Amino acid sequence: MMRNEKCRAKRSRAVRTAAAALLLAMLVSGCSETAEQTSGGEEEVTIPMILIVDSSTGIKNEEELITEFNRIYDGKWQADVQWIMETEEEYRQNLKRQNVTDTLPAVITDLRMLPAFYYMMIQDGRIEELTEYINEDEEWKAMIEPAVLESCSEEDGSIYLGPISTAAFSCSGMFWNEELFAQAGIEKFPETWEEFWECCEQLSACGITPLALHTEGTAWAPMLIATAEAASTEEGAAFMNEFYPDTYQNESGLRIAQTLQKLFRYTTDDALYTDFDVSYDNFFSGQAAMIPNGYWMMDQIPEEWQDKVRFSPFPENKMVSSPETFGWAIVSGYSDEVKEGAAALLKLRTQLNMEQREELFSKDPEGMIPAERDYIAAYRDGPQLVPNYQVKWNSILQEETLGEILPDLALGKMTPEEFTAKEDESIAQFLEEQ
Amino acid sequence: MKKSKKRSGIQKRYLKYTAALLGLALLLSSFGVMLSVRNRLTNSIVDKYEFLTERTGLTLENMFQQTDEATAECIFYDDVQESLQTQGLEDVKHIALSKYFAYIDLDYVADYCYVDNKGNVYSRSYSDVTYQDVEESGFRRYLGDEYSRTKWFWAKDTLFGTDDYALFIGRYVRSLEYAHEPGMLFFKMEDGFLREITGMNQELTDEAAVGVIDRSGQICMSSSPEDFEEGERMPDDIAERITDRQETQASGMILAGEKVKGGILSAYLDGNSGMTVFSFVPDRLLNEGLIPIFLVLAGIYLLVAVLAVILSIYFSRRFTKPIQVIKEAMTEFDGNNFDRTIDLHTNTELDEIGHSYNKMLDNIRRLLDEIKDQERELRRTELNMLISQINPHVLYNTLDTIYMLARINKEETTMRMIQALSKYLRLSLNKGSDIVSVDDELENVKSYMEIQQIRNQSLFTYEIDCQVDAAQTYVLKLILQPLVENAVKYGFQDIFEGGVIRIVVKKDEGVLYLSVANNGTSIEQSMMDKINHMNELTVSELKECFPDKKHGYGVVNILTRLRLKYGDGAAFYCEAEADGTTCTIKIPGDGGLKDDEK
Repeated sequence: MMRNEKCRAKRSRAVRTAAAALLLAMLVSGCSETAEQTSGGEEEVTIPMILIVDSSTGIKNEEELITEFNRIYDGKWQADVQWIMETEEEYRQNLKRQNVTDTLPAVITDLRMLPAFYYMMIQDGRIEELTEYINEDEEWKAMIEPAVLESCSEEDGSIYLGPISTAAFSCSGMFWNEELFAQAGIEKFPETWEEFWECCEQLSACGITPLALHTEGTAWAPMLIATAEAASTEEGAAFMNEFYPDTYQNESGLRIAQTLQKLFRYTTDDALYTDFDVSYDNFFSGQAAMIPNGYWMMDQIPEEWQDKVRFSPFPENKMVSSPETFGWAIVSGYSDEVKEGAAALLKLRTQLNMEQREELFSKDPEGMIPAERDYIAAYRDGPQLVPNYQVKWNSILQEETLGEILPDLALGKMTPEEFTAKEDESIAQFLEEQ
Repeated sequence: MKKSKKRSGIQKRYLKYTAALLGLALLLSSFGVMLSVRNRLTNSIVDKYEFLTERTGLTLENMFQQTDEATAECIFYDDVQESLQTQGLEDVKHIALSKYFAYIDLDYVADYCYVDNKGNVYSRSYSDVTYQDVEESGFRRYLGDEYSRTKWFWAKDTLFGTDDYALFIGRYVRSLEYAHEPGMLFFKMEDGFLREITGMNQELTDEAAVGVIDRSGQICMSSSPEDFEEGERMPDDIAERITDRQETQASGMILAGEKVKGGILSAYLDGNSGMTVFSFVPDRLLNEGLIPIFLVLAGIYLLVAVLAVILSIYFSRRFTKPIQVIKEAMTEFDGNNFDRTIDLHTNTELDEIGHSYNKMLDNIRRLLDEIKDQERELRRTELNMLISQINPHVLYNTLDTIYMLARINKEETTMRMIQALSKYLRLSLNKGSDIVSVDDELENVKSYMEIQQIRNQSLFTYEIDCQVDAAQTYVLKLILQPLVENAVKYGFQDIFEGGVIRIVVKKDEGVLYLSVANNGTSIEQSMMDKINHMNELTVSELKECFPDKKHGYGVVNILTRLRLKYGDGAAFYCEAEADGTTCTIKIPGDGGLKDDEK
């Protein structure tokens, strides 16, 4: 009995020893594996975007919107913006290149400034139809101004452009230098076109260049004045409402050409073959007394110029406005999650614009800069809105022809008739290429 | 006769268990270490090839990027854009554009073909590819539903008519401005194009089998190092394994060092091109790195094992050798040789064992000597007794006769003496038990004292104070007489009359005390100390106390008999009084009982 107990004790010891040795061996052999940690939850969806940095001011376009969006939707959506230093024109050309290489970001802007490209994008199914997004979101729908929704809608009622803007921020008129006007003895901005030309004469007589103009980049500044002037007549107003006019060799087309030729008599020497940035510099260096542009230039007025610069509608109470020019759209080909986030971004943009409008309109005028005060007064005065030519005319005319023929017209090397004939050639070429 | 050296049993067991434990520990630790080393080393090697495969995959991505940029340049090219417009190109431009594709920034182009949206074909001058050939080739389907993505596809060359399998790069060519029908652009690539991808990672191609496989599982390119041994070949199901993973993962490493038959498989999927770069590393390469490490490990373990065995033998000998010495000393002890002692200096408990053995040996020797002495004494005593008992009747008859003669002659003193002597002798010569009642013992000593009183007129008187039941209390016989003799002989040596001998018998707490006191000369201090010290000695040592045999015989005799009869509890001691000496016998516990009552 004792012997058996001893044997058992021995066996027990042997088992314990073997177990200890095995444990040691297991420890030595590193049996423990590092467990991989996994995190639960849905992944944040990235919404790629490309936006430009203003080359004059260094301000990132829409930075406030992007910051707010990423804050609100942190963890769900993230707007991944690539900020690039380029002009608006370069941005638009890049849109075309990105499209043919299938590398467009999820949200694009300025699309409406390229009418042919815009319609090609629709035709090829490259941008999303937004009607469903808007109709399903009553909150968003309520923020949209009817005029903006109408301008963003196609003839068949479909909506491809985000109705993000407010008409209040899309109007263009004339920014003028009150100090230079005073030097020429002019106390207020002209109210008729006759007065406008007289004003130009008077400024010139005092050695002041009246207008800051340019010929490149769709000739934005001179075209704003010329198209506003053309809309003075009933026929001209109807012409400006035409989409892809059949011809420019008519009374309105000729009138625009004549006005353009006349305008370039009152501008700086470097106006030819240059873009809007040169005009901007000329105006904000005091070398020209007037520059036409939209409300968005309020932020770009240098601080030391804020008290000198005033704003007025074009003569005869006209303002050029096309809310759809902002041209924000969602690119097809992305996942539903990305497109949903992109729609949320467009909605937020609408909301911010609405809030800015309400804030602006309720703000004490005394706290505003003079130009902003003038703009609100002008907008409330119910001006005649002339459609923006950029959303109406063919891209060859805007992007190629105007830049080529306008200097000749300005220098008198081309008559207004020849000018309109060249414009019509662009129509033919456009139709041919199309 | 050859005497074989017998190994200690303890050492044998010690070595056996040590060897077993050591073997088990070495086995388990070597198993653990080798498993760990093997895992880590294998992982390290697999990681290396996984990294190289990933790098090759990145090269593939770069190559795709190059082709994407090259085809994009073609799309942006003015003549290409013009070719998409309604009127098409003039003949001169047509010829120029046909040549243009030969000079784009792309190497390893075997052939090319561009078809605009009006069915015009732009290809090499000697090429006779027509629009119909393009449509019949079925290559349009490879461009997919996407708007204008660069596509790589591995297909049979039904476009240029060579019918060999090659890598083709194709893309829809769309107008920058207008919603035209797209054109199509195809490049047929030479084999060198794909080899360029793997060739950029020479380290990988030198050691592993590498290849490129498309989404449908077609192997577009594969190569194995020249030193691949016979039997080392890629598994047959490699395409199946990779396509399975392609379905679940968009891009990146889809196989990270997965164990397959015969080796390790890694694969990197480029989501853009749909191509997967894979590498197959045979087991031989994995083991090549392991063998030297395992050899070193085995060498270390062998060395440890040898050292452990040597040290075990050395230490076991150190411990078992003294045990062997003890064992030999004990087993070879024959009961006679007491000189063989153990002399150990191990600084362990074994030294104490040796010391105890030596002490035990010494005790045994002394006991043996004592036993021998006692036997001798016994024999002598018995002889004496036999001699004295030759004829006690003659002695008694003679004493009776003398008594009768004294009575006749009215010599009373003689009569008393003879009576006393007769009583004394009766007890002294009484055979049988050496235990007598206190009554008899007192009677005996009284006879002795009366004889001494007759011999020494008026020298002393005596008193007996017996406080016990004298008839029922027993003592060793003849123990009081020597004390009385000493009292007369030494106590009254300096007086001639007035001496008193007082005998007291009493019991205190179960101990019987018998004391004989005299009022004569006190015992000398040195003698008293010597006598009292005798109580601490052994029986054999008692005999050495008075070697001259002239003195102390009575005391030694009493104490020896008491110790032999009652054990170490019995004692005898003297006390020097102011006038005289008291000698006391102490008999413990059951000393006062008869033998048969004990």
